Amino acid sequence: MATSLRDPSTLFFQSEAIRRLIISSYWVVLIAALPLWWHTTSIERLSLPTSRVNAQADRQLRLPISIGLEDASLVGPLQRELDSRGQRWKGLDVTVAGAAANASYIVVNADNAALLGERRLQFPLRRATIPLLADALSDLLVPRLNSHRIAHYAPRYRLAFTLLNEDAVEGDAISSWDISTAITHQLSPLLDALSVLHNFTIESQVQFHAPLAFSPQPMSDGSVGLTPEDLTVFVNSAEWTLSSSVSNDPVLHFLVFVPSSSHRPMHILDAHGVPTTAESFLLPQWGGIVIYNPPNTERGVRPLSHDALSSILPQFSNQLLSLLGVAKLPPGIPSTSPLTEWQLDALLRRRAFENTLEATETLQSIVRLVDQIDNMPVGQDVRGDVLSALSSLDHIHIHSKTASALPLPLSLSLNTTLHHSATALTLASRAFFNPGMLALLYFPTEHKFAVYMPLFASAVIPLLATVIREVAAWRKQRREAAVAVAAAAQ
Amino acid sequence: MRLAFSLFLVLFSTLVAASHEHIVGDFFAGSSNHTNNWAVLVCSSRYWFNYRHMANALGMYRTVKRLGIPDSNIILMLADDAACNARNRFPGSVYANPGRGLDLYGSSIEVDYRGYEVTVENFLRVLTGRVDPSVPRSKRLLSDSNSNIFVYMTGHGGNEFLKFQDNEEISAFDIADAFAQMHEKRRYNEIFFMIDTCQANTMFTKFYSPNILATGSSMLDQSSYSYQNDADIGVAVIDRYTHFVLEYLESINKTSHASMADLFASYDRDKIASDPGVRADLFNRPLDQVRITDFLGGVAHAEVVDTQVEAEPIQWPAEDDVHVEPRQLNKTATTPKTQWASQTPADGSRGLRAWTGVLLLVLLVGWAGVRK
Repeated sequence: MATSLRDPSTLFFQSEAIRRLIISSYWVVLIAALPLWWHTTSIERLSLPTSRVNAQADRQLRLPISIGLEDASLVGPLQRELDSRGQRWKGLDVTVAGAAANASYIVVNADNAALLGERRLQFPLRRATIPLLADALSDLLVPRLNSHRIAHYAPRYRLAFTLLNEDAVEGDAISSWDISTAITHQLSPLLDALSVLHNFTIESQVQFHAPLAFSPQPMSDGSVGLTPEDLTVFVNSAEWTLSSSVSNDPVLHFLVFVPSSSHRPMHILDAHGVPTTAESFLLPQWGGIVIYNPPNTERGVRPLSHDALSSILPQFSNQLLSLLGVAKLPPGIPSTSPLTEWQLDALLRRRAFENTLEATETLQSIVRLVDQIDNMPVGQDVRGDVLSALSSLDHIHIHSKTASALPLPLSLSLNTTLHHSATALTLASRAFFNPGMLALLYFPTEHKFAVYMPLFASAVIPLLATVIREVAAWRKQRREAAVAVAAAAQ
Repeated sequence: MRLAFSLFLVLFSTLVAASHEHIVGDFFAGSSNHTNNWAVLVCSSRYWFNYRHMANALGMYRTVKRLGIPDSNIILMLADDAACNARNRFPGSVYANPGRGLDLYGSSIEVDYRGYEVTVENFLRVLTGRVDPSVPRSKRLLSDSNSNIFVYMTGHGGNEFLKFQDNEEISAFDIADAFAQMHEKRRYNEIFFMIDTCQANTMFTKFYSPNILATGSSMLDQSSYSYQNDADIGVAVIDRYTHFVLEYLESINKTSHASMADLFASYDRDKIASDPGVRADLFNRPLDQVRITDFLGGVAHAEVVDTQVEAEPIQWPAEDDVHVEPRQLNKTATTPKTQWASQTPADGSRGLRAWTGVLLLVLLVGWAGVRK
């Protein structure tokens, strides 16, 4: 009986060459796949212009201001007086000159009263008034502001005007208001003037049920009072819907609150519980509120009277100006216009400084974070934004240098500086907030082993083991062959 | 002429002096520097048997809303499969106590990240602000350098991790790095971090950014337990730690002066059945001066603008001697800059364990290779 079992060593694929070919083919595939694996698991981290960012951080933005003085003999004293207030004028190069044609601001003599014009101040010019003039100029050009009150800079703002009836159920309510006309007449000039800084979107609404979350304090004369503490919790955010969420622009709120008939009249109390004449208050960086107590003669559901509206709108415009950082004029220096060039220039300078600083700091923090967090990807768009932000910052510095040499109109020069600083800030923030910059999750080493071991160990151990065995077998063969050759030679 | 001029001088100097006093008056003295509040509330569990975690988050949601944080400033991340679960005998309701006294799901709930949107990635994107441009306002944390942020997390966790929906985990390092990035971009003034999970205190050990106050429900190797069952709902309805925190917060209202120190003093380890922890070394202010409403409320500072007071008649001086008072430069309030060292966890034992693994692998390969 012929044996049906064959000797394994005679099988064609058990021949040594073929077996080794098969094993090596596994290795070829594995090694050929390594670059692909490396490519798909590595993170794109483009290099950032670190040295340029750091160099940028060392530069200080300096804006030139030239003041032309009618009386040339007072130039020296004023310059000294201004220089002594050094800290406040940080970042500004002030030069006082005689009545030069290309001075940004001009001070002319007036006998006994100050008056503000367009970049022109009438002031009693005497040697004795120089400290006062220096004070006035400081207040006009670098006003002190409460930075907690001022909203953070944004290229776009939404203004939300809301008329709130505390309770319209009793049939005594304000049903509508002609806010769009009022805004066109009373607010538009301001908004137009501010349009170099911000782009405004306006929305308005009327609500008929806006309960307070606390009970106002009853007073002896039948009115009710709001204590300073009540004011901080006045806005009942849980029940009042104050603005739509159509965009991501920051919102400034302006509310007219009409108390229900049982809460009328409603007064704001001072710290001692005494009613004040104030009708409005301001929540820093949030908006303004006006309490409107309708006169007793009005009854029923009616629109808001024009008189009431025209007394409310000036309060709103005051609140808007303080929220946006427009400084009040120094007392004693009246002006004919509601928003002077002096105030606007001061605001433009302030925002330019803020934006430049923030843009620089953001760029620095991007560099620092990328350095600190190894897993953070840096894509082409991030790099592009960082580079564009840097070039915008360069533009600011170049511009502020050339502006002092060229007789450019000041407003144009400041607008350009602000524009570049806003661009730099927007780009730097966009780079920071790039969705692709999200670092991959942190995995402890144990986690990596726990994930990779079951997957790769089972595949790699047989491969490595066979290689070792093959190498061992091959060396044994060579030794045996050498011994056989030596024996044959003998 | 001369007289008029001197009169002007005197009047002017008084006015300037008075105005400085008025403007510089620091109405923020002695309290937190923030002007707005935000809350990020995360329930990282899903499925019916984790009912209590949803109740935890919703209880916290109700409280911060009651204390004055508007819905637009609350980011609520919730699997949200409890209220309308087929097994819920009280459809559309979530209760946190066995008597079912208060329906937490009752009215105006705004869940911002729902169901499978509750992921580690989305949570980190919310914190760092690295969201897609198309993401709507309600899903963004639009905070700034004047924001106080309350971050509350609840779910199943362990040593330095919190599980998200049985799917993935967030580690203590991820949250610490996210907070560091928020600090770099000035996305917060102060953060109050609260977590209710097993071994919760390990989650805030890796923080290294300033102005963060953290508290958790239990120590390393300790479990956090559920509090009560409702026989009709059939599952545990709330966790112990959150229950007692919420119970304490019920005594707080919008204008309450209770401090964080009071809240932490109210922790009773016998009732909570674990050791709640507090980490305040990164925090600048003494805890007994930090109001709970600095974080959980929407308290703003109000400024009364009285136009009629400004128009008060000025006292005209009778004498005409020119007298210029020296004016002091008013000090501008500067917030103290904190020095903080970034501490990277150089943990030798981790590396050692990793290399032991490699060695074991090599030995295994060697043994298989030389086996006859």
